[in-house]
This record gives sequence, C-alpha cells and structure tokens, in this order.
Amino acid sequence: MSRRVNPICIDDFMNRQLTERTDILECAWHKRQQEDGGHSEDEETKHRDGHARGDLEEEEYLAPPAPRVKTFSIGDDWKTRERSPNEFEHISRWRALTVYLSWVTLIMFAYVREFLRNWGLETSHIKIELGKQKHFVPLFNDFEAVYQRNCYVRVRDVFERPIGSTPGAKVSLLDRYTEDGGWTFKFPGTQTEVINVGSYNYLGFAQNKGPCADAASTKINDEGLATCSTVHENGRSISQARLEALVAKFLGVNDAICFSMGFATNSMNAPCLVDKHSLIISDQYNHASLILGCRLSGASTKVFKHNDMKSLEKILRDAIAYGNPKTYRPYKKILIIVEGIYSMEGSISNLPGIIELKKKYGAYLYLDEAHSIGAMGRSGRGVVEYWGCDPNDVDILMGTFTKSFGSAGGYIAGSKKVIDHLRVASPTGYYSSPMSPPIAEQIYKSMSIIMGFDGTNDGEARIERLARNSRYFRLRLKQLGYIVYGSNDSPVVPVLIYYPTMCGFYGRQMLARGIGVVVVSFPATDMTEARVRFCVSAAHTKEQLDTVLNAMKEVGRETWCSSFSSHKQLYEKMKIEW
Amino acid sequence: MFATLLGIFGEASTLHYALETFLIAAVTFLYFRRREVKDSRVKLTEKQKDELIAEWKPEPLVPDTPQDHPVLNPRFIDGKMTKYVKIEGKEYLNMVTSNFLGFVGEQRIEDVAKKTIFKYGVGSCGPRGFYGTVDVHLDLEKELAQFFGCEEAVLYSYGFATIASAIPAYAKRGDVIFVDKGVNFAIQKGLQASRARVEWFEHNDMEDLERLLELQAEKDKRDSVKAGKTRRFMVVEGIYANSGEICPLQKLMEFKWQHKVRIFIDESYSFGVLGKTGRGKL
Repeated sequence: MSRRVNPICIDDFMNRQLTERTDILECAWHKRQQEDGGHSEDEETKHRDGHARGDLEEEEYLAPPAPRVKTFSIGDDWKTRERSPNEFEHISRWRALTVYLSWVTLIMFAYVREFLRNWGLETSHIKIELGKQKHFVPLFNDFEAVYQRNCYVRVRDVFERPIGSTPGAKVSLLDRYTEDGGWTFKFPGTQTEVINVGSYNYLGFAQNKGPCADAASTKINDEGLATCSTVHENGRSISQARLEALVAKFLGVNDAICFSMGFATNSMNAPCLVDKHSLIISDQYNHASLILGCRLSGASTKVFKHNDMKSLEKILRDAIAYGNPKTYRPYKKILIIVEGIYSMEGSISNLPGIIELKKKYGAYLYLDEAHSIGAMGRSGRGVVEYWGCDPNDVDILMGTFTKSFGSAGGYIAGSKKVIDHLRVASPTGYYSSPMSPPIAEQIYKSMSIIMGFDGTNDGEARIERLARNSRYFRLRLKQLGYIVYGSNDSPVVPVLIYYPTMCGFYGRQMLARGIGVVVVSFPATDMTEARVRFCVSAAHTKEQLDTVLNAMKEVGRETWCSSFSSHKQLYEKMKIEW
Repeated sequence: MFATLLGIFGEASTLHYALETFLIAAVTFLYFRRREVKDSRVKLTEKQKDELIAEWKPEPLVPDTPQDHPVLNPRFIDGKMTKYVKIEGKEYLNMVTSNFLGFVGEQRIEDVAKKTIFKYGVGSCGPRGFYGTVDVHLDLEKELAQFFGCEEAVLYSYGFATIASAIPAYAKRGDVIFVDKGVNFAIQKGLQASRARVEWFEHNDMEDLERLLELQAEKDKRDSVKAGKTRRFMVVEGIYANSGEICPLQKLMEFKWQHKVRIFIDESYSFGVLGKTGRGKL
C-alpha cells in the first residue's frame, strides 16, 4: 500500500476527482490493489519497459491509471514516469453565470448593431448579394449569421492567421491589418516571426530541410506529383502500398489502408462499417468528422459522457437489453467510437476501461488516434502503447498523418479482414484520388525515423522531448494558477479562460509578445468554456516554453484568468524541472 | 430620495413579497435543477438485462471479402502516370487517368513543388483556422477567383470533400435541393449530410426539372411565409463523372433566374477541359 501514501496532499483531491470523472476500471484497480497488496513497483516497471505481452497482458492493461502523482517533478527518470489522470476542474456556478452574462451582453450588442446597420445608422461592411440576385431567398438569415457578423468578425484577426513559412517551433505570420473592423484585411507584405504553439506539430516533423523533405522531393522525380486517377483505377501508387505496409508494422497489426485526407478517413469509412441496424456509441467530445461519419452511416447514435465508463456501460447494457427503439429489434452490432487524445479537452481516453467493456458486451471499438499517434507512448505508437494495451484488441485503429508526421492524410489499421473489406467497400477507393507520392514519402520517412530505422535515435529523442515538454509546460501553467484540462501527459494543453470576450484579448496580447496561440470558443467548445489551446511540440526548446509561460503570466495578471484555479496552492511549492 | 424608496417598500403588500420570493426561488430552482430524462419504456431489472446481454449475439463487424477481388490484387504502375505507363516492366498506352491536359511529369511544375517543400515543408500541421493557411493558399484563391471572374474562391485539401461539405454549408434543414439523378457519389454524400429535402430529376431532363420547379412554385403560393425561408438549390455537374454527358447549362441558368434557384456546378471533370480558355462550362 506504500504507493498510495503520498507526500503531497493533492492525493486526496485526485482520488475524489478520479471517482467522479473516471471510471469503473480504475476503481476496480483500486480494489485490486487493496486486495492483493499490489505487485511491486519494479515488476510493473518491467512490464511496461519490456512490452511484455501474453500472460502478463491482463496485469498490464489493468495497470494503474489511478492517482499516480507520487512526484510532480519531471526530473526523475522519464521512462518509469507515472501516468496522470485527466483533470477537469470546474468553476462555480456563479462564475458560469457571469460567463452567460457576458454572452448575453455580446448578443445584445450584436442585435443592436444589426439594427443600426439595417437602418443605415452604421456603415455596413457586410458582404451583400449581387443586385440581380437580391430577390432570392437569402443564403444566411439565422442566428448563426448574426453571430458571425457581429461577434466573430470583431475578433477575426486572432483566427485564420496566414503563415509564410514552415509551421515549426517558430513560424512567420503574414502581417495584416484591417481598416473596417475585421471585414477585410490588407497585407503590407511583411512577416513577423513568432513562437508557434498553435500547430499540431507534435514531433517537430514540420521541417523544410532534413531527411523527410529530401525524400519527399526525390519522390517527385520518381513518381510525379499525382496519379490523376482513383485508387481502384490503377491509382494506388507503389509509395502508398509501401506506406500501408509500414503503418501496419508500426502499429503492430495485420494490415492498414491509407487515405489522402484525415477528415474523410472518418467521415467516409464509418458508414462502411455500420448500417441502420447498428448502434454507434460516441463520446461526447468526438470530432466533427466522426459525427459526420455517424450521420452518414444512418446508424442510431448514442452519446456517452466524456470518458465516463459508467455512462458508457449503462448505454451498452440498455442498448443490448432494450434493442432499437425504432424497430423493437435487437441491434445487429454496436460500435464504440472514441478518440485517443481529445483535441479540445487535452484528455486521454481510458482505453483499458473501454476495451474491458467492449469485450464484456461484445461491442466493437473504433479508436481515432488523430492527435495521439506519434505523440503518445514510449515509441510513439499512440494511446494503445501508452496504456500498454494490445493493438489487436482495438477493432479499428484510425489516425491522421497531418499532426505528428507533418504531412497529410489518414490511415485505418486493423485485422486483415477489416481492411480488406474497407479496401473493397470504401467509397474513397472508387471516387477519390490516392495520396500524392511526395506526401506519402514524407510520412514513410518520418515514421521510419520514429521507428529508428534510420539508424539514429532521433525519433526516440523527439518523443522524449515532447513528453518532457508537455509535462513541464502543463505543470508550470497550473502553477501560474490557470485551469488546465486533461492529463499531464498530453501534449494538447487547453487553458480555460471561460469568457468568450477574452479570446480576442488573449490572441492579441500573446501575439504582441511574439507568440502565436489558438483561441477557441463556442461553437467549438461549450458556451461557458472558451479556452486558449497550446500544442506542445518536440521542436520547442525549454527557453521557448519559458517565454510562452512568462507571457501567460503577464497576460494572466492583466486579466483574472490565472486566479480561477482553486488548486493553485497545491502546485505553488512544487519544484518543476524540465 | 432614499426615504421615498423605503416608503415604496413599506407600501407593497405581504402577498407581493411572497410572490416575488416565490418567483426568485423558482428561477433559482430551475437554474440549479439537474435535468433528468424520464424513460417511458418498460423497465427491466438488472438480472433480466444480464440474461438478455448473455443471449445477444453481435454480427461480425465486417463481412468476409473474397480474396480474388481485383482491388485486393492490384497491379502497380512503375514511375509517373504519363502518356505511357509501365506495368510490371511492360509499357502500355495510358487511357486510365484523367490527366486531360497532360501536366503529369511537367518539369516546371515539379520544380516549383520541390521549391515549395524546401520552403514550407510538406504538411501544414493545422486546419485553416489555426495557422494552417499558408500564403500560397491565399495567392491561389485570389488567382482562381480572377480566373473565373468571381468575387472569391476557397480551397479545400481534398477534392472529394469539397462538394460534400459545400452543399451542407448552405443547404440546411427545411431547404430544398433539385438534383440530377446522374450526379456523382461525392454530391450524393453532400446531399445526405445536408438534411435538406432532395428532389431528384431525370438525368439531363429539363422538362422533368421544370415540372418539379413548378410543383415547388405551387407549394410556395400556398404558403408564402415558408416560401420566404426555403432556400432552393440546383446541383448539377459540368461533365457527369458517371456518364460523360454535359449539362445543358443555358437552360439551367434560365430556370435559375425564373425560379430564383441557386445553382451548384461540380466542374471536377470540365474545369480546364471545356471552353476556349478552360474555364469549364461557364
């Protein structure tokens, strides 16, 4: 029981958080620990280090996701580091009420301005319809348009910033200014270099030189830029076939298939797997592409609370017991769709728990590793490796190459049977073009580097840097008093600022300090949960992260966003080492 | 001033206060209340559920695929997809690809592509909104808009997704879309995603389209309020990917103005092919 004795009082809080926010399996693990007194630390470390499979497997995926907050210093041996739980610190309802008030004010002003514009009291910059088309039914007339015109446009300068260089650790933004309140931008032609904490460049493969760029460029000589044909009509190039074999090997499964766009990988392939007699159980925060996939498939869809195994189990039980309410027949199959790392929450899905439930109830699992592939796990094999699960337990492993691999496209990997079916049935095979050869080559090369095939330890070093960077950055932010969602291991770092009006402020203030951040608000998040999102990269140096942290400290002082967290004191005296 | 206020408070009746307090309490209650969804179905006990769960046999995730399917045994083409292609060492004349203007293998284009890789890297590592818009995107959009004589243009990274997401971006629930029966798969997916009402007309049959438009006009007459909110769209292709036929655009444009229907044209196959300067059907 020694492991549960914690020198920091945070343990108690974490335990509570755990029972509230996470799941039965973690609690099950707790019980198990109490029963058998726990196997020794060494044994467990061995399991994880040696990637032991087979009879150790069960132990392995029951491995403790629990409050492994023995130490918050990252200076310890990185390899035996503990997994951190997801945290979602909530503000009081009164604070939430003030956020709603801020929305009400915003919308009120929106309508006032809309009124003024309609009566010609304010110069209107709204794009209007061509004169000859003005009798057509207007294209936009709903609330969304009012929101766009009056709220989004006012802070438009913090979104869609065009870049003029590689989106690496630093990026050059095209300077632009507006003379009409965000409706149009003018480009004087200059550029400003800022620290880039907005791009999904987790492993730092967004590079314009080095082995990947060279390989991609050489590939153009061999196979050209495009095949100008669909996959089934002789369009599947050798480079794509080679890549598919490598992806399967990388993930440790039988087969893989690649597509030229990550979004379409989800939206077009989910319909091949389920039909109207099936049920999709989808996580609350699943990405839009998955939601579109669910919609296109025609299957019934149920949503479970984010990462909440109790909610998932209840839905599973009820779905099997009660069947399809529309037809009163049992569902033919049930597909659980979850993500590895949730891009807006920064939380890591509880894969062992989900696999357990999936096995118990005979459901199938679709895991979207868009953000986690490359970024998680000791050798970059995603959350499956992070949790020490067996990749063959996940029926469909999906991921994209846009993020960690610095390229474009997506893959689906799994058993040969599943992939064969997708190859034949997926509409993208018949109707869309395959990957462009240089793009495939960039992935091939970067994946080989991650796997260490280039004979260096570059890949390993990148993964380690990323892990250190994310942990350091997250803990420092918490120390500043910010509320940060998600697990300390995740490179996606959402910092909550709650007020939608704060988005513009943060975006501009950070830019003034030479940092490019992503700010998001409704509709990408809940109405009360506007946030600044950082994506930590292996390319960032500690100094760059410190610059960002200092800027956050300064901006936090000007607003009151860095005083939201009620757990600040827990981190205050913590020694955080890179 | 203060005294008057106090006076007003004094004058109000107890009933008034009670009512106010009740209202405030009600608002507070409604705000803090946890919403519970009532389930009207027959309740099963956990034991009954367990039995049903034990009985339930899910179907396999995917059916078996015959291993001799041509897609599973592809032939790979060595090198570029130019006029002649090499398959397993033998040279063939290429009639497969839609490389209409023969740009594959063009040295000038490849050189620019290489330069671009060495300036920007391969991927943009982000969506358009979050540092994924590169200056070359903006330049290309501007040029495309100029080329077509339009106000603006927007780029998508995947041909298939373009029309499939452009349709639902405009056509929402309650709108109506008139679609040719011969449209390609991407358009069909877009229609499915849009949730609008879809009216199919026979392939390239303008009389059928006119019939549908007039039916709609009659409906509009009956309910003019709804008509003022129903956006109408037509979706056609320049050259139909499935049949290779060209759409009668002039007639469609007539209908557009006559019935105030907006038009989508998918020019995947006709852009760069039709017209004196390759501007497609326009």
